[in-house]
Amino acid sequence: MRLVRLHFVAGTLGLALAAGAGLATAQNVDVIKKRQDILEGMGKATKPVGAMLKGAAPFDLAAVKKALALYQASAPKLPPLFPDDSKTGGDTEALAAIWENKKDFEDRYAKLAADAKAAETSITDEFSFQEEMPKVVGNCGGCHKKYREEKK
Amino acid sequence: MRREAAPAPAPAGADARAWDLPTRVFHWTLVALIVAAWASSEYAEKLGDATLRWHRAIGYGVLILIVWRLLWGVVGSSTSRFSSFLRSPLAALSYGRDLITGRARHFLGHNPLGAYMVLALVAVVAAQVGLGLFTTEHNDLADGPLAKFVAESWLKPIRRWHHFVFESVLLPLVGLHIAANVLYGFVKREPLIPAMVTGTKPAAPYEDEASARIAPLWRALVCLALAAALVLAPLKLIAGRLL
Repeated sequence: MRLVRLHFVAGTLGLALAAGAGLATAQNVDVIKKRQDILEGMGKATKPVGAMLKGAAPFDLAAVKKALALYQASAPKLPPLFPDDSKTGGDTEALAAIWENKKDFEDRYAKLAADAKAAETSITDEFSFQEEMPKVVGNCGGCHKKYREEKK
Repeated sequence: MRREAAPAPAPAGADARAWDLPTRVFHWTLVALIVAAWASSEYAEKLGDATLRWHRAIGYGVLILIVWRLLWGVVGSSTSRFSSFLRSPLAALSYGRDLITGRARHFLGHNPLGAYMVLALVAVVAAQVGLGLFTTEHNDLADGPLAKFVAESWLKPIRRWHHFVFESVLLPLVGLHIAANVLYGFVKREPLIPAMVTGTKPAAPYEDEASARIAPLWRALVCLALAAALVLAPLKLIAGRLL
């Protein structure tokens, strides 16, 4: 009888541990997926911007404004999506440097949002777009260089 | 510079012309542009150059230099001509054997083994700049002039190759090239690095020739104009704009 109870306790404990571990993993992959979706959305909005910068597509102020608005809406959502339990897991391309330079990393999102806001007024035509837009999207590359390992 | 320790009994202080001015300018300009190309990519954000305008401009410069070197390898001064320094792989091996066993053999221009290093460096730099023509900045904010002919799924692999060739092929080759030249200076007492600056080497009974026959400077300038035209005109024509 005692042995059975012991088994039961051990079994329950084991199950609880496994569930806990499962929950932790699930949470962490979840947050990774969430930030990837947001970043991918920003990347998609940047596609037409890149084409315009290259002269491969005609200048389209509406698409530029849309991208600038999306950067401003997305950037503040990102810093909380890099908790300590999301350093690895899923297909994250995040580098450990993020958690070693958390302040710089988070400041970069604030700067991106601020630069995007400033560009909303400074970009009025194709000329100012070619001048000002690289300053905004330059934030992407600078951050990626330091904090992202490109996979695949 | 221990010129007195130079190979063979040469009259003290006598110099032999080894490299013409255009070849030396080419060499050090290429060094400078490769460093600049790396820096313009590494510090693009600090430079405020998200669309890699500097990096692309430098790439055109490197490509023009490479084409110039190929032309100069045909019509340049004797020591710069491929026909004067490219020898069979067997000749290179035999020179390498002599080098290891300590049998002194001296060349005014490239030695048979060094010739292959030159060939490899030119080929790898050409491959690197060639990859750059076909790829995009990682956020697709800018691209090489020929990237639009590449399927989207290829852009990323080419970009990875562009990074790989620089870090894992070009840098080790450059390291080997520098190490070999430093060793020649210290071990064999052949001042190869100063020679690429001054253009002269201590006179000695060299195997290839006693003194380089120097091509006129105007010919180098014609080659440069030709190289620039050969690189920029077709790319401008195909891509519409270069930067």
